[in-house]
Amino acid sequence: MKARTKYVAFFLLPAFTLIAVFVVYPVARTVTLSFFNESGKFVGFANYVRVLSSREIINVEGFRRGFPLGALVHNLLWIAIHLPVTLSLGLLLAVLLKNVRGGSIIKSIIFLGMVMPMIVGGVMINFIFDRNLGIFNAFIKLFGVQPKTWTAHPDTALLSLISGSVWLWTGFSTVLYSAGLETIPKDLYEAAQLDGASPFKIFTKITVPMLRPITIVVITMTLLWELKVFDIVYVATMGGPGGASNVLALQMYLYAFRAMDFNRSAVVAVLMTVSTLLVSLPLLRTLKEDQT
Amino acid sequence: MKRLLIVSILLFAVILSAKTLTVIGPWAGPEMEKFMPVLQEFEKQTGIKIEYKIYRAEDLANLLPAQFAAKKAPGDVIFMWASFIREYGQRGHILPLNGVIDESKYLPGALDAVKVGNQLYGAAYTGKVKPGFWYRKSFFEKYNLTPPRTWDEFVELLEKIKRIPNIKAPIASGDGVGWPLSDVTEHFLITFGGPELQLDLIEGKVRWDSNLVMKGMSRLVTLLKNKYFGEPTEWTLVLKQWWNGDYALYFMGSWITGMVDDPNDLGVFALPGAAGVVFGADYAFVPKYTQYPEEAKKLIAWLCGPEGQAMQVKQGGHIATAVGIDLSVYPPVDREVAKIVQGVTVLPDLDDSIGGEFQPAFWDQLKLLWVAPDRLSEVIKALQEKAPKK
Repeated sequence: MKARTKYVAFFLLPAFTLIAVFVVYPVARTVTLSFFNESGKFVGFANYVRVLSSREIINVEGFRRGFPLGALVHNLLWIAIHLPVTLSLGLLLAVLLKNVRGGSIIKSIIFLGMVMPMIVGGVMINFIFDRNLGIFNAFIKLFGVQPKTWTAHPDTALLSLISGSVWLWTGFSTVLYSAGLETIPKDLYEAAQLDGASPFKIFTKITVPMLRPITIVVITMTLLWELKVFDIVYVATMGGPGGASNVLALQMYLYAFRAMDFNRSAVVAVLMTVSTLLVSLPLLRTLKEDQT
Repeated sequence: MKRLLIVSILLFAVILSAKTLTVIGPWAGPEMEKFMPVLQEFEKQTGIKIEYKIYRAEDLANLLPAQFAAKKAPGDVIFMWASFIREYGQRGHILPLNGVIDESKYLPGALDAVKVGNQLYGAAYTGKVKPGFWYRKSFFEKYNLTPPRTWDEFVELLEKIKRIPNIKAPIASGDGVGWPLSDVTEHFLITFGGPELQLDLIEGKVRWDSNLVMKGMSRLVTLLKNKYFGEPTEWTLVLKQWWNGDYALYFMGSWITGMVDDPNDLGVFALPGAAGVVFGADYAFVPKYTQYPEEAKKLIAWLCGPEGQAMQVKQGGHIATAVGIDLSVYPPVDREVAKIVQGVTVLPDLDDSIGGEFQPAFWDQLKLLWVAPDRLSEVIKALQEKAPKK
């Protein structure tokens, strides 16, 4: 038994070494950096106070005047809008396409948004909402709405990015929900139909509860994406205009690589990690409980 | 057999000893095509091979700090923002070029942006002037328009253009990364605050909420509020639209002469009263971590010297920073631009010189101002927060 433990330790050592070098050390270094200033002096929570009180992170004035509201608030808006929309749209499409001939082809097309690199997605969003080239303007013109470059205006930039991301991300939830629907026993539906249950009742009392584990996975993955969203914002608007579509990950990048202030950048990185853990851990625990 | 062996060994030795310098610059497409002959001429004269790689300055700003920290560099001669060269020169990552570059052979002030005390960390290659508003002569003739001589005439001209059927706006607004908006804003600041204001803002001696700045900014805001500027659009796309007659004027640097179908149809005027013009030199440096420091210095001396610069300006779109380049070398349109530089104060680019956190903030805040000119005070406040402080 002792020899077996030795073997296990021997084989785990390379993995642990890599984790220590590439995960544990960078995380520890980032946390440490967030408590020091540029000259390497320990400053406690001063960097946190500085970052959290800056207009780039939370812009109190913005609540009166309009966007920008600060990167942290924008991330919360991403969650508040993007999450329910992609979730419900994905579920709706999965249910609607379940018994449709050629439904899998349509689902594959919807899933293409996920296959596309998000950098390309950002460029596409720019095109979609462009005044001259955009399909969105071509569409709304039919209803007499004045065209404009939606990503160029502070009041619509963030919403344009979120809706563009809905288009890119919905394929993920659609595919996962479609797979989940296949696992629900047909007997349940047949029994409900025999009892005279309406389609709505069947949907709310059978489909939705049976898809709970899938919903938790979709929520967790979508939330993580919304918290770390960077690429499409960087490409489409660079967080503008005037910071109106800025997000935490982009601000972290700007602190690190434009201001060369790695301490403030580390603070944002820690805030993002903590919020990610706060969000994902309870969800993962629920998922585990469901499985047991 | 023995002879073949010796020849093979010699050939192998020659291949091994051949030095290839990597030059990193921002020019791609037609701009690169005009730069390559200059590099090829150096290869021909010295036998030193050159490989050219394209990197945008924005990407280099992310890449180089990490490379420098690892004591590496992706190239032997790199074109980059002056502010970056100064900063990393002071940090010891860039080879000083004192003795390689003779400062007296350049336009006055051309090398100031890459100097720290007596140390010269960069060299000025050719540059581009941002002289003012470009227009198509044929468009002006068609609609009987004339370049303005006073501010009132300028506003009258804009009003006249606005009334032309199917025109989107009198002035096209370039966008994308954000620098086209900063160029036109700098022109307003220099015209209404004086050339010294540009230098003071770079040094952080003047606040953004000062009267001098507000004088220029409020004139710009008046035009924005009257919708004389179009909505910010990707700058190369709007260039085509302007050329096709969707807009009448476009504020751009002199590189525009190499980007239009017929440069002879181009005309340009500065804002009436502008006593200074921004000259954006292309600065290059030699990283400390180059394998071939002597060859790299040789290349930079040749490129930035009169011979390299003359070759480049000859092809259009560039203006020399080295003195003594005969005006006859320039294509006709560039010659006119080169003449503009001679009459006014030549100034460094504001955001390129400050760099750091200020630059992206400046570009971004101007994007906001362009679509929401009533938020000027908010923009000014944000700029002051990021501006250098004396």
